[in-house]
Amino acid sequence: MFCRNQTTRATVARGSALEMEIRRGKFRKSDFLHTSSQDSDIQKKIDHEIRMRDGACKLLAACSQRDQALEAAKSLQTCSTRIMAYMSELQRMKEAQVMQNVPRRSSDAGPMDDRLPCKGKVAISDLRIPLMWKDTEYFKNKGELHRCAVFCLLQLGGEIFDTDMVIVDRTLTDICFDNTIVFSEASPGFELRVELYSCCSEDDYSAGSTPRKLASKLSSSLGRSAGKKLRAAMEPGACSPVSNGGAAPLLLPVPSVPGPKYHLLAHTTLSLSHVQDSFRTHDLTISGNEECSYWLPLYGSMCCRLAAQPHCMTRQMMAGWLKVKQCGGDPKTWTKVYAVLKATSLSCYQRQEDVDANVEPALTIGINKETRIRASEKDPHGKGQNISISNRYGGEEVTHTLNTESREDTHSWMEAFWQHFYDMSQWKQCCDDLMKIELPSPRKPAPVTPKQGSLYHEMVIESSDDLSSTVSDILARRMQELELRSQLGTSPTWMSVFEENSPKSTGFPVRPCTSRLSGHSPHSPHRLPSRSPVSPHRCPQPGLLSSDASLTSDSDSHCSTSPCSHRHDWPEPSSSFSLLSSSPSRLRPRTLSLDAKLSTLRGRGYGGGGAFQCSCQPPSSSLLAPHPASSRSPLSQRSTQTTLSCSSSTSSSSSSNSEGSHSPESSEGGPFSRPSPARRSLRNLRARLDPRNWLQSHV
Amino acid sequence: MSFVPGQPVTAVVQRIEIQKLRQGENLILGFSIGGGIDQDPGQNPFSEDKSDKGIYVTRITPGGPAEVAGLRIGDKIMQVNGWDMTMVTHDQARKKLTKKREDVVRLLITRKSLEEAVKHSKGSHPRQ
Repeated sequence: MFCRNQTTRATVARGSALEMEIRRGKFRKSDFLHTSSQDSDIQKKIDHEIRMRDGACKLLAACSQRDQALEAAKSLQTCSTRIMAYMSELQRMKEAQVMQNVPRRSSDAGPMDDRLPCKGKVAISDLRIPLMWKDTEYFKNKGELHRCAVFCLLQLGGEIFDTDMVIVDRTLTDICFDNTIVFSEASPGFELRVELYSCCSEDDYSAGSTPRKLASKLSSSLGRSAGKKLRAAMEPGACSPVSNGGAAPLLLPVPSVPGPKYHLLAHTTLSLSHVQDSFRTHDLTISGNEECSYWLPLYGSMCCRLAAQPHCMTRQMMAGWLKVKQCGGDPKTWTKVYAVLKATSLSCYQRQEDVDANVEPALTIGINKETRIRASEKDPHGKGQNISISNRYGGEEVTHTLNTESREDTHSWMEAFWQHFYDMSQWKQCCDDLMKIELPSPRKPAPVTPKQGSLYHEMVIESSDDLSSTVSDILARRMQELELRSQLGTSPTWMSVFEENSPKSTGFPVRPCTSRLSGHSPHSPHRLPSRSPVSPHRCPQPGLLSSDASLTSDSDSHCSTSPCSHRHDWPEPSSSFSLLSSSPSRLRPRTLSLDAKLSTLRGRGYGGGGAFQCSCQPPSSSLLAPHPASSRSPLSQRSTQTTLSCSSSTSSSSSSNSEGSHSPESSEGGPFSRPSPARRSLRNLRARLDPRNWLQSHV
Repeated sequence: MSFVPGQPVTAVVQRIEIQKLRQGENLILGFSIGGGIDQDPGQNPFSEDKSDKGIYVTRITPGGPAEVAGLRIGDKIMQVNGWDMTMVTHDQARKKLTKKREDVVRLLITRKSLEEAVKHSKGSHPRQ
């Protein structure tokens, strides 16, 4: 039996979960009486979520393992949030309907006022939230290992998604969520709410990694923090804010189930102004305090990549046949083209089939914020109106004139152009260039992250891989991914040391090359002028130089040493060192890359302990030959090839240095994505001849 | 080029005479050295024996006096103007090379290719 109301056909399907909930008194039936058939899909969604929630509750009650319980609690939280969102949307729709019934007395608004901007896709990815442990906790392993399970809930419009759950303890410096979440229909005024939920992952002490005897000893003697934790664990909701937000009068709170409960730890809201094609940092608002069991010491910010693809950039906004002529050309030469308005240009093809065939358009007219489009008066020569499009390219102005078949066509083209301009003005920076959004492929393998162990992190070997690639290649690729991931968080200053070909070398014109430390050689001052560069770029004052040198600041020293020492004197290194190819024994997987980097960092301290001069060459123009390769005798080649032998310790670290950084020139060939052997050997040599590691003097 | 402590070192050497170039009020040779008994020999990319604490040429200014004279990167300097360079600190080596009153330095250098050249020549021209 359907429950019908006279005014509208409100149907609450019999036997639906919604009906059951109404029966249970959780929802009020009257709320649904005014729903029209439009809302039936929302109702279906609510239905679906209620079923999921029931399932999650049952699972939570049934499961015994902590990990499963946490996952189930996470789905419960997500479902509850979704239900609340759908209910509030339903509420809004009802209100809108009520408003519609009130007769409108406003005058007709102009066409611009009713114009709606196009929607778009918004994607958020690579979420990273840094943590700020006390150094005693992090390094000295003091205190019990407090573990929390965290996940993020992302809400935009009516879509709610959650990320995977991550277990966090004090051995982690950042919480990283690898998921890419794509919201399909977002308007430019969107608000993306990011919420971080966390739940303490330990109920009792024996659940952790403590051995049994120790656990019993600990539990029997409760210290201050331990007692606090136990008390907090026993009353899970004690320090959490009102979990349902108190905003839904329609909905009774989440059914209370035993088991882990997530609490809101931090939240932030992102909007169009935060959209950028690269990573950005945003502030988080943290709720909760140190006393809560679910507390994590957040640094207070969140790093992520928020990209948006408005539909005007990805879809064809308008297409049709036009006649085009360029201003300044013969008025009689109209070219008939099939024009497509998409993204920032109007592409004109000779045939309609060319559009799909990916053929280059015969003519492309740029349409951007600077373009001016005018509909001119009726052309005396032909029928229809002319539309002229003017762009400024460089200094000159180029105008194209379009002619359509009929007035209606002209009108619809102008309308399309106006809409396009409006969209671009609304989506702002998203319309400058198409931002890439990577859709998460379902078979993407999760990188091996032993620290963030969860049931669901497994190493997947894709069957789509080339069958000839060996397991070691796959492992190596995984290590590379892991490395890239770990590098996202490290400080850029010391990483840049290892980026040999980084553009930091342009920084050296500013940095003085010779850094003198600790006044070791008494005759240093008069030597400096010789070293002080003849080239106009660098500042030659000796006084400046001595004060500037500072080993501890990474950015200084790296700038002053490696680029200087290697810039001018090896302009053609490949010829000399091409034979310094790595022996096969060096092709080992870079498992120790991070450790190796740290060890060279330590080695750096050694090399710079004593006084040293940067071995930079004054680029006196008389000496600097543009093509010294030709002047190098063959003897040198032979000598270098044989005298340059690799030392095992430094070679491993430097090979990982030069390859660890994801330099743009690394070719995609091979599993390691190695650069060419010549470049690699050069980089190895440069790394090993780093004055920080090994003192060198210029004579 | 490894040495046995207590035994004399033998090596195939080449004599190189470098005329210092005057630049302003400085005399430069146009190369860089690395190594020394006070330095870490493991960091030396040019040495065959990683415990060799000798002085090595790490860089040559292209077209400079050293290159013109025939010095090459990776050469090990055994003597400078008669002064021994196999057992000196880094700074002592530098001082011996940069004496203001000397216009020319005569180096005794050795490199692996020299030994090999001698070996090959011995092999191809057997002694009568």
